[in-house]
Amino acid sequence: MSQGYPITIYKEPDLRRSSLVLGWSEDMGNLGRKVTDYLNWKLRGEEFAEIEPEDFFSLGGVAIEGNLARFPESKFYACQEHELVVFQSGSPGAEWYKFLNSVLDVAEHHCRVKELYILGAMVSFSAHTAPRELLAVVNSAEMKEVLGQYDLARGMDYQTSPGERPTLNSFLLWVAKGRNIPGVSLWVPIPFYLAAMEDAQAQKKVLSFLDERLDLKIDFSDLDQEIREQNEQLAQVRSRFPQIDDYINRLESNLMLSEEENGELIKKIEDFLREGG
Amino acid sequence: MGIRLYQEPQLENPILVASWPGIGNIGIIAVDTLRGILEAEEFGEIEPWDFFYPKRVLIRKGVLEYLEFPSSKFYFKRTGGKDIIFFIGEEQPTEVGRMYAEGRKAFHMANLVLDVAEKFKCRRVYTSGAAVALTHHTIKPRVWAVPNSESLIPEIRGYGNTVLMSDIEGRGGHGNITGLNGLLLGVAKKRGFEAICLMGEIPVYLQGLPLSYPKASKSVLEVLSHSLKIEVNLDKLDELDQEVQRRIEEFYQQIPLEIRGQLDRLKHVAYAQPAEPGPITEEEEKRIMEDVEKFFQKRGGGG
Repeated sequence: MSQGYPITIYKEPDLRRSSLVLGWSEDMGNLGRKVTDYLNWKLRGEEFAEIEPEDFFSLGGVAIEGNLARFPESKFYACQEHELVVFQSGSPGAEWYKFLNSVLDVAEHHCRVKELYILGAMVSFSAHTAPRELLAVVNSAEMKEVLGQYDLARGMDYQTSPGERPTLNSFLLWVAKGRNIPGVSLWVPIPFYLAAMEDAQAQKKVLSFLDERLDLKIDFSDLDQEIREQNEQLAQVRSRFPQIDDYINRLESNLMLSEEENGELIKKIEDFLREGG
Repeated sequence: MGIRLYQEPQLENPILVASWPGIGNIGIIAVDTLRGILEAEEFGEIEPWDFFYPKRVLIRKGVLEYLEFPSSKFYFKRTGGKDIIFFIGEEQPTEVGRMYAEGRKAFHMANLVLDVAEKFKCRRVYTSGAAVALTHHTIKPRVWAVPNSESLIPEIRGYGNTVLMSDIEGRGGHGNITGLNGLLLGVAKKRGFEAICLMGEIPVYLQGLPLSYPKASKSVLEVLSHSLKIEVNLDKLDELDQEVQRRIEEFYQQIPLEIRGQLDRLKHVAYAQPAEPGPITEEEEKRIMEDVEKFFQKRGGGG
């Protein structure tokens, strides 16, 4: 479409051969926002550009989250010492192809990005005590080989079922492929009863991979502490509510719960975590 | 974003027949059936990515193999004299939360379709869709025809089983055609093409169902093939119609007896001229509509 260029650059970053990590700010377990925020915090990411919202988001008002008015944001941050670009954005509701190309325009033309890492979360029916897996979908056989040395599940077979649509992550991976940018879409399963909350273990899983792959040398002691605290809170719920403990025990034994039981488990855990234990 | 032509066939006085999905998929089934019967050959497409969100992904052993988008394809058939270009859009390029295409994208797509028509020196365009009407599913649907120029009206009056908007009671020659099946007619007018939209009638109580309505597609196709002066065997549509009619009957039997009684009266609607008194009064028509709406509200939207 021949409309105005939707990108605003505040400051040209000094990057030679960078990697782009992209997270959506409203995904499951708040994973995209938490991981990109964490990278920006730890690696001193500096905002340098954004994509203007009017072509891509419904602007019929503002959303209110946590008592605050929110406005769609699509921002780029540069972590110059680490040759890393972080992009955090809401998920666009229109003009997806133009949006995704705008992301890659900034990545290619202003940051010389050589690789793309897309973050995503998916629902899991395992208990939170099971180790988190990290699944990878790549856009080239070469990228698959490069990632062979990491602890990733790389053999996924999948096709959309009738009535379903591909994810925006797949769309971006495909656009990147068309521009010869090697990319990987990373998927971490989050226990269903933490999907509307946060899952520090899932965040750690993704961040550990990025740390190793991009040689970021992050000290995770704070995140480890957060994981311990969340596990303690979940242990408290189990000890206080025998029914919840029974449900989680069954999940740990790979048994399915009924829809009603799932609902009860979600509600109890969410209420408990929101009240801070 | 644009048009990709795989070949440039030599065509003689071609006519464009275009359709996108809509209510009951009446237009697209009619056009696609004709394309299939004539074994028209694919020769181009409109590149999809700026218009559509992808519809399918295939990931094999962790590698994204392909992403598939809704197609917007051109086909041609040489018939000797008046060749035919078909355009079939698998989806309308809708904005978020909308059912039909509108605005900038829709206008752009309509222009791309007409760019191809113009390239092959086509001057006549047909589109096709649905006309929601107070009729019954056991009655042969009429075809409502809307031209984009006064000069086409005498020709339309010569078509069988076809009415103009002014022939439809209470319409006074007015109405609107939603989405690209209608918009193309307007853009064609702007660009100097003559165009006619043929809309098969679908009973008002079926418009919200996730069912196609091949009975009306057949009516459209009868008119279209007559206008194009080609003979086609429509047995395939009859078979499809029988299957759909069975499902419609199942649904119909679920409608409360009182409302069904009202709807049954639509079986006896004569194809009245505006001046003639029909068997259903205006007040009764209003009541039927209210009853139907109430029923669908109770069912949670009629799907």
